[in-house]
Amino acid sequence: MMIRLAGGEVVDPINGPTGKRDVWIEDGVIIEKPVSKRADKTYDVTGCFVMAGAIDIHSHIGGGNVNTARLLLPEQHAAHLKRPLHTPLANAGWSTFNTGCLYAQMGFTTVVEPAMSPSNALHTHMELADIPIIDKATLAILGNDDFLLSMIRDNASSAMIDDYVAWTVSTARSLGVKVINAGAAAAFKENIRSFAFDDVVPSYGVTSRKIVETLQSAVGRLGIPHPLHVHANNLGIAGNAVTAAETIRASQGQPIHLAHLQFYGYGTEGKRGFSSEAARLADLVNSTQNVTIDVGQVMFGQTVTISSDVIRQYSGMRTASPKKSILFDGDGNGGGIVPYRYRKDYYGSLQWAVGLELFLLINDPWRVFFTTDHPNGAPFTAYPELFELLMRRDVRNAKMDELDRSALELTTLASISREYTLEEVAVMTRAAPARLLGLDDRGHLGPGAIADVAVYRKGQDVQRMFRDAALVFKNGDLVVEDGVVTHYRWGKTVHLNLPPDKGITKRMQAYHEDRYGLSLDWFTFPDSAICRENPFAEVACKS
Amino acid sequence: MVAWIGSQTVPLPAAIEQVAKLLAKSRCPVFSIESDVHGSRSLIALAERVGATYDHVNGRDLLHEVALHTDIGGFFATATEVRRRADLIIIVGDIAAAHHDLLLSLASTTADLSSSSRRRWLQIKGKAPAAASEPLRRLKAIEVGSSDFPIDAVLGSLRAVLAGRKTSAPLANIDAFLSEMASARFPVFVFSHLNDPASLAMLQGMLADINRARRATALFLPCDDDAWGMVLASTWMTGFPPRTGFSTGSPIHDPWLCDIERMIADKEADMHLWVSERDEARLPKRSRVPTVALVRSERPAAGALVTVRIGKAGLDHDGVVYSSRIGTLRSVAATAPSALPSIHSIVGQLEQALQAEGLPS
Repeated sequence: MMIRLAGGEVVDPINGPTGKRDVWIEDGVIIEKPVSKRADKTYDVTGCFVMAGAIDIHSHIGGGNVNTARLLLPEQHAAHLKRPLHTPLANAGWSTFNTGCLYAQMGFTTVVEPAMSPSNALHTHMELADIPIIDKATLAILGNDDFLLSMIRDNASSAMIDDYVAWTVSTARSLGVKVINAGAAAAFKENIRSFAFDDVVPSYGVTSRKIVETLQSAVGRLGIPHPLHVHANNLGIAGNAVTAAETIRASQGQPIHLAHLQFYGYGTEGKRGFSSEAARLADLVNSTQNVTIDVGQVMFGQTVTISSDVIRQYSGMRTASPKKSILFDGDGNGGGIVPYRYRKDYYGSLQWAVGLELFLLINDPWRVFFTTDHPNGAPFTAYPELFELLMRRDVRNAKMDELDRSALELTTLASISREYTLEEVAVMTRAAPARLLGLDDRGHLGPGAIADVAVYRKGQDVQRMFRDAALVFKNGDLVVEDGVVTHYRWGKTVHLNLPPDKGITKRMQAYHEDRYGLSLDWFTFPDSAICRENPFAEVACKS
Repeated sequence: MVAWIGSQTVPLPAAIEQVAKLLAKSRCPVFSIESDVHGSRSLIALAERVGATYDHVNGRDLLHEVALHTDIGGFFATATEVRRRADLIIIVGDIAAAHHDLLLSLASTTADLSSSSRRRWLQIKGKAPAAASEPLRRLKAIEVGSSDFPIDAVLGSLRAVLAGRKTSAPLANIDAFLSEMASARFPVFVFSHLNDPASLAMLQGMLADINRARRATALFLPCDDDAWGMVLASTWMTGFPPRTGFSTGSPIHDPWLCDIERMIADKEADMHLWVSERDEARLPKRSRVPTVALVRSERPAAGALVTVRIGKAGLDHDGVVYSSRIGTLRSVAATAPSALPSIHSIVGQLEQALQAEGLPS
């Protein structure tokens, strides 16, 4: 069927300036305006902005730790049922089915689960398969696993390390590699309670820096489009901006992505020894072209923190709200689930401001990505409010009046006048994520792109515009009308086509039998195990 | 033969049609589920469609295990990590027989990620059930505790002693316990079907105390791996563990309200779909509620209006199950492939038949 979206204002910076033009869809892809054919179906989108479907590069939407969080917090889900806005927990998306619908309603069509433990890949992919409408992807966590740490300790060749990384990405059906507080989960098992970039993992004698460098190089050599996705050391600790800066400098000009930089934007000034270093970090990012970051914005209210950074999560257990949490020692990666309420007190206000400073002071929308690190900084359902804060200075200032003045005085936020344009939003949430992830088929509305399209009704109310898309198409199927899901479909999980070497497969077989007493097929799975038609789609590596 | 109405053999489509009629007519259906993850997934989706309440067949056994996670949380580890790192394993109470092989396999290995050359074993015991099962005797664990006190009291006393407080309760081998705990680098408490909330809370409280200064964790071995797989699927699909119902259209989790035995006894339920892949499965005692059984039996289930014979995941067809051995889901291939239908396929046919009954998908 041929579809025409007529009369809308198209915001698609990759294919030209914003302006009125029609968008044509046929067989699930965007096409040029046909010369002689008429559309089978025309939607009048006059008075609307037309954009590509949005892409979230870092949102914890499925897998063992996410599901454990659901199990720990049934009350969070109960509060998610429809109720008046602005009540506690009203915005926490929770089950897999809700997750897909809520993202689609906002015009998001691809979401990356950024922290999949390879040993938990089947569980993760089964959850993702139950998220309707949107496409998904995962990043496989490496950097605390015995096999890799042993290879680094034993000075294994680059080729061997590459084989192992490729095997992991391939068997776990991942789109890239993430490292979380490299070496810290292994160190925590030996009772280490803090772990800096140059600290050494006991028993292996390798530093966190060495692990990050090793993985960064392997990702580059293998042609994995997405640079190594780094959750750095010392998350949440006063003075940790130094750690983030050191991690950036260590990248030595090679591509690297720093996740949720807001949680590393802290200095030690002020009476409480907790201040903003966002301006200096933003300067460093601005001047370091090989670095991309996502923000991990904090918004106020109840949420739950979910992370494989077990050292951080253990220290966070003291402030759990409500008072219950889970700490998990797994193979390589562990996990911590700690519920938390961001309050408008000194600390919450400062974290909120640090995130916005990073958004507004990093100049290049191609290198700063729109995330709340769902649900760690806030549920993704807070996105419309965050768009408004970025696009309207008056709304930002009004919000600042509600917050702790002494905290805001230690930030530059009040002095920043920048307001994001729609074109910058389109780059940050569409074109740039697609390029960062190596997904050339989306993030824009040029001919040949898959027809993931979000249509928003123009208006002064930015929140409303982004919360309830007027129309959303996924692969050319109309799935949302006026903010309501009207058609269910199953998306795919995209992953890299990275055929593993036969030698490493044999080696992994021997390793699993020797160390776990189990054959490798306990840890791997066929596509058919997902029990859904064509659950995966392959993406090519860089040549 | 794969289907019966009463004791009469019928073609499968006829049985499916009859079940669809019963589901469509029912105002308060209840599902008891014992299946692999795919079977559970499809039945939970069906429950949502027909407004049913669901639980595991052995939901009562799951209650405290689920409550530990929903109410308390705690410290946990995978069996694979325990195998490689635990230099001291402390068994708490008795362990479900299904996990004895796992413990015996741990006893035959050393922790290659530990500096300790051997793995030591303790077992914390209380008043009942006193006797260790025969296989676990081979572990030669040092028994700590007292046959005079329930196990929650023993755990409370051990927690007090570990924290440097005195206790008046005389506990056997308390010195050995303290000594082993002092020298262990990665002690792991193993527990399974601890059916009292006080013991679970006390154990996790003790772990919280220990972890202030050093490491320790727990290996949770569910009373039934398949049941835990259903808990996981239920949680991601609805946000809630079992004992969840869709009577209002939205999922409601309430361990009392959604207790199927209670709902049947109180005549709230008006139709019971009872599903089990296990050969030894037996329907609960007769009730007045019309019952449909999906079972692996070669005969119609006693008391069921309709019986459909099904296959078992990992035997008749491929499937996905939870495994305590690896602490996550695993794919299982059919070891004796047969033509017996999977629950997933039966539910698919039911979904189609429900459309004919006027229940929109």
